[in-house]
Amino acid sequence: MKNNLAQRRLDRDWTQADLAQSLGVSRQTVISIERGRFDPSLPLAFLIAKTFGCTIEDVFTAE
Amino acid sequence: MSDPAATRRAPASHYMLAVAFGAVATIAVALVVGATNPDDFWVAAGIGALCAAYPAFSLGARIFVTNHTVTVDARGEESVELTWMRQAAAGAFLDVLLTTIILAIVMMLWKLDVDALVVLLVLIGLSAADAGLRYLAIRRRALR
Repeated sequence: MKNNLAQRRLDRDWTQADLAQSLGVSRQTVISIERGRFDPSLPLAFLIAKTFGCTIEDVFTAE
Repeated sequence: MSDPAATRRAPASHYMLAVAFGAVATIAVALVVGATNPDDFWVAAGIGALCAAYPAFSLGARIFVTNHTVTVDARGEESVELTWMRQAAAGAFLDVLLTTIILAIVMMLWKLDVDALVVLLVLIGLSAADAGLRYLAIRRRALR
């Protein structure tokens, strides 16, 4: 899956560590998701969408 | 937002407790190992101490220190590290299985007689090293 997580994070001026702390996951998880090397679980995807006040489809798109 | 883990420290007494626990556990293991080999008590006790020191002090740190210094991920099971660990474990299992099959065939063909304890210790070491190296390789590849 492709995603715009990095752009959304930067728009809020958050570091990867900030987002990781907010989501309750490791920083490596955020790095891997942003690079498209790790697809988050559905609950985590929902939490990411909720964190940014949008839907999952706004963040993640199928390649 | 800031990372609270960056400034977290355990009370000084907890570091001392961890060291004391590690020392006591190491000495206890050394005495037990030494007692089982009375002919070479000090050599056996020394080897036992060398083997026990790292895990004993690590356990002391885990019990008394890391609760204060390590931030627990609320959704650790959804972190990428768990995926890496599972991939490494699966790869290591196949490596150990393949190695065991090859060694068994070689030993059967050449009629080699090897102490079972040695074989088991080698397999334990191989599986642990394999899984560890695989984890590091997967992590390095993912974060590159």
